[in-house]
Amino acid sequence: MATAVKVDGYGFERPEDFDFETYEEFMSRYLSVLVRRAKKWEQLFGSSPLEDHLKRSSKVKRYTRKGIPGDKRALVWMTMSGALARMQANPGVYQRLLEAPTHDDPVIDAIRTDIHRTFPENVFFVDAPEGQRVPLFNVLVAFARRRPDVGYCQGLNFVAGMLLLVVKDEERSFWLLDAFVGGVVPTGYYTPAMTGLRTDTRVLAELVRARWPDVDATMRREGATFDLVATKWFVCAYVDVLPVETLLRIWDSLFYEGAKVVFRVAVTMVARQRARVAAARGLADVVSAFRVAIDDPANTFAHDFMADVFRVPGSFPMATIDKLREQCERAVLEEDR
Amino acid sequence: MSYAYLFKYIIIGDTGVGKSCLLLQFTDKRFQPVHDLTIGVEFGARMITIDGKQIKLQIWDTAGQESFRSITRSYYRGAAGALLVYDITRRDTFTHLTTWLEDARQHSNSNMVIMLIGNKTDLESRRDVKKEEGEAFAREHGLIFMETSAKTAANVEEAFINTAKEIYEKIQEGVFDINNEANGIKIGPQHSPSSPHAPSGSLGQQAGGGCC
Repeated sequence: MATAVKVDGYGFERPEDFDFETYEEFMSRYLSVLVRRAKKWEQLFGSSPLEDHLKRSSKVKRYTRKGIPGDKRALVWMTMSGALARMQANPGVYQRLLEAPTHDDPVIDAIRTDIHRTFPENVFFVDAPEGQRVPLFNVLVAFARRRPDVGYCQGLNFVAGMLLLVVKDEERSFWLLDAFVGGVVPTGYYTPAMTGLRTDTRVLAELVRARWPDVDATMRREGATFDLVATKWFVCAYVDVLPVETLLRIWDSLFYEGAKVVFRVAVTMVARQRARVAAARGLADVVSAFRVAIDDPANTFAHDFMADVFRVPGSFPMATIDKLREQCERAVLEEDR
Repeated sequence: MSYAYLFKYIIIGDTGVGKSCLLLQFTDKRFQPVHDLTIGVEFGARMITIDGKQIKLQIWDTAGQESFRSITRSYYRGAAGALLVYDITRRDTFTHLTTWLEDARQHSNSNMVIMLIGNKTDLESRRDVKKEEGEAFAREHGLIFMETSAKTAANVEEAFINTAKEIYEKIQEGVFDINNEANGIKIGPQHSPSSPHAPSGSLGQQAGGGCC
């Protein structure tokens, strides 16, 4: 390429070793997908308000799985997650949360420590007045006050940061974060004991075991748990884990279908590196195999990735997940006693 | 490259004290002023030489925020060495050492060597914890102590290597049962004739193989 663009469409600086060739190959195909999807969404919704159409239906689900057009994404996420309803039901609440006096609060200190460590490689996350650092601080502080049972948990900074980059509006990002933690992902992901998160990493282990006993056997032998390899996947819902285009596609379905999408993605990533994980020797080798799963250039191909996500793991009845959650949660609570 | 021993380390301490930066300085010899925060557990590896023997350090870097302790704790057990880090410009990170120490002692093997590190000596003008205080804490709790700067690399090599020397001495004294991998020590593949699962390939053969 003659001129390599150093910053992507969401403000992330590309690392020196960025694989432009793979990205070009992806984009040359993906652009036509985006154009086609945009046309389809226009046809489906016409000129009437988008909200009227977002009733749950297999058609909307299918459309969402194939990607929400960028210009509709924020509104669709807001509508489907219930964030819009939360915002409309609570006028002025965001401002009031921000206006509460800031004491020498350890939660606020913790947030402050992490602001400059959130997307340091993104051109929008700078200290300049028009930068996203102040909005990020505000969203996290307001959230900590709205949800004192959670306060601030690392990972929320990445989720909120990504919401700001997509939605480009502080208050809307706040309500999306509120809906995300309070409905999209299961409870107990960000609370101090992290019971929900630890339950779900164990559920993932069970889902993997049922599909690939060889992977499970290696992990058990080497003492590797999905706590170790997948905590960041779950806590950040793949922000700072997978490429941005792919991440946005995951979130399209996550906001519509809920948390089981997180499992589908995890299972797909394990499937892609199955041989490498199964052959690993030693704990470090297992962890490295999962690093490869993250760095896999194939993850760039968002459309193919999502096709795999809805195909590779096979059927995924919610009843199975619920049952596994119940079992695994008991084990977690037992461990904490 | 083969090794005589592999030592497992963990790095623990409050969030933002510079744990990941210390690791990066040690494995890659560079400083990243703006480092993504660590969520969960990461690891790095590097080879060092002690007493003419090649020793591979496998270092597990953990998230500092308290809630993550329920996850990182389970990786304390298999460690031979721990770097317990605080920030000399933030007193609260020093105050929390007692909790960290209790947690480490409770969840690790009793022979684990613990190195107390006061990091960020490059920020001398903002110092909030005197060196003497660090020394006193270390003396009181039987830890080794150093002040470091991940930014200038001052004492970073020494911190990791002195910990290894202490572990090595304990092995010589017969304190560690090196046949029990739960102690965080592993004999290199060519040194133990019957070791079918010894790592032979991919990982950490070069410095900094798996970091970040």
